[in-house]
Amino acid sequence: MPRALTIAGTLVAFGLVVLWGTGGLAVFETWVVAGQKDVQAALAGAVRRLRGGQPGALFGFLTVCFAYGVMHAAGPGHGKLVIGSYGVARRVPLTRLAVIAVASSLAQAGVAVALVAAGFWALGWGRDQTEATATRVIAPLGTLAIAGIGVWLIWRGGRGLWRRSGAAEVGHSHGHGHDHDRDHDRHHGQDHPQGEAAALDHIHGPNCGHAHGPSLDQVAALTSARDALALIAGIALRPCTGALLVLILCFQLGLAGPGIAGAFAMGSGTALVTLGVAGLAVWGREGALVSLSEGRLASALPLFEIVAGAVIVLTAFGLLAQSL
Amino acid sequence: MTLRYIFFLAALITPQVARAHPHEFIDASLQVLLNDQGQALGVQITWVYDPLTTLMILEALQMDRDFDAVLTDAETAGLQGFDMKWEPGFDGDTYALLGTGPVEMGPPVQVFASYAQEQLTSRHTRMFAGPLTLGGQTLIVQSYDPEYYTAYTVVDATLQGGAGCAVQVYTPDLSAADIAMQAALEQYGPNEDPEANFPRIGAAYAEEARVTCPAP
Repeated sequence: MPRALTIAGTLVAFGLVVLWGTGGLAVFETWVVAGQKDVQAALAGAVRRLRGGQPGALFGFLTVCFAYGVMHAAGPGHGKLVIGSYGVARRVPLTRLAVIAVASSLAQAGVAVALVAAGFWALGWGRDQTEATATRVIAPLGTLAIAGIGVWLIWRGGRGLWRRSGAAEVGHSHGHGHDHDRDHDRHHGQDHPQGEAAALDHIHGPNCGHAHGPSLDQVAALTSARDALALIAGIALRPCTGALLVLILCFQLGLAGPGIAGAFAMGSGTALVTLGVAGLAVWGREGALVSLSEGRLASALPLFEIVAGAVIVLTAFGLLAQSL
Repeated sequence: MTLRYIFFLAALITPQVARAHPHEFIDASLQVLLNDQGQALGVQITWVYDPLTTLMILEALQMDRDFDAVLTDAETAGLQGFDMKWEPGFDGDTYALLGTGPVEMGPPVQVFASYAQEQLTSRHTRMFAGPLTLGGQTLIVQSYDPEYYTAYTVVDATLQGGAGCAVQVYTPDLSAADIAMQAALEQYGPNEDPEANFPRIGAAYAEEARVTCPAP
């Protein structure tokens, strides 16, 4: 991307966050709520046609479900905040973040389906019990995962800052990070015993991605699969009430199959919006980084992590307070 | 200094995320009841539920199983008061203010419910403790759910009695509501959690009926 275009990403992303945070998007939200109302009415019609067995009803239902997912994701939500903050904090490649965004939305639909199926068939739950279980039992688990991501980012950022100040004192010292050791363990753990011998040998594998000194590559060390799992869990374990409600209605009407397909159609709609946030986060982050010199970059990245981590942790507290 | 900004940003963002989106949509019609002296007695509230919520309620009540959008007489009888068994903590989503002071309202009376054109309609009346003299002040009746599970739209506001009085529907000035939100948030210090006792800003976003009567 040309430099100017990349930097523009920062302005766009920052502008949107400020607008959203200060309520400047209230007019937009009013429009979104009106849209949600329309889609909800359309959904009722689609369910009626489905129940009446009209031809093409399933396709129409899935289309409306997709639109419902888009409209409900267009408002504020934890998934967008978590994906967006993480995308800003870590130099995660766009494709990877996009896969996480889509996977988490679909997993969220999967959790809703599993909850309603188990509740409805095994326990005979209706709307109230299902909603209560979702908010009191499942959502706190997701909140824990979200808080974990936040704490981990702050920890990473703090360690990065501490190392940076240490490195400045000793000059250009390598200080092979524990990170790399951990990566090595994962790649080569079986080959050599843990301990000093292994650390001294320090054999670089082909996928090591190891770089000496506080350079871009070092700070941009590979993000682990654990991150992805925590992100997906944090988002998925907070099933959308709308999906639960529509699933329960469909199950009650004997339309379990279409209902499940509809939940995933909603998840696809949500994924579309989360995908946009992921793109914006990466664009904005790269824009901010490209305008920094290499030296300042290395100290900026840990700050990004700390700020994003703090936002995520505080959000998790807010969500926890809400579900208790 | 950076930390202060972080907390400020987080304080702005957190309530925005925690604010859920609505899952029920209700069109509310408000009729303010007045006597001949222009004193307000109470409010008659009519709620029309959105078609999907209607479908869910009917399914929960096991009504209209044949999906012909018509209820039998027995079903209509069973429908009465379906949404009027208010749980503790739910105060009816209707709020009255005289000037800036809240006006207490009694429990729902004269309850009536019907089903037509794939939408449920529910009507109830809430009386004030006694006749309320407006005395040149504006009586405000608001429809909102503090938790925003339900989104209310005030579609109509009328008066019964009260010659010379006037009513109009007032939709919120969103920028004013946002200023109220900001002002409320700025009262919190950097180490306080606004979520802990979040101000009922929902009121600032509420649609409302405003009643004025000529001073006697």
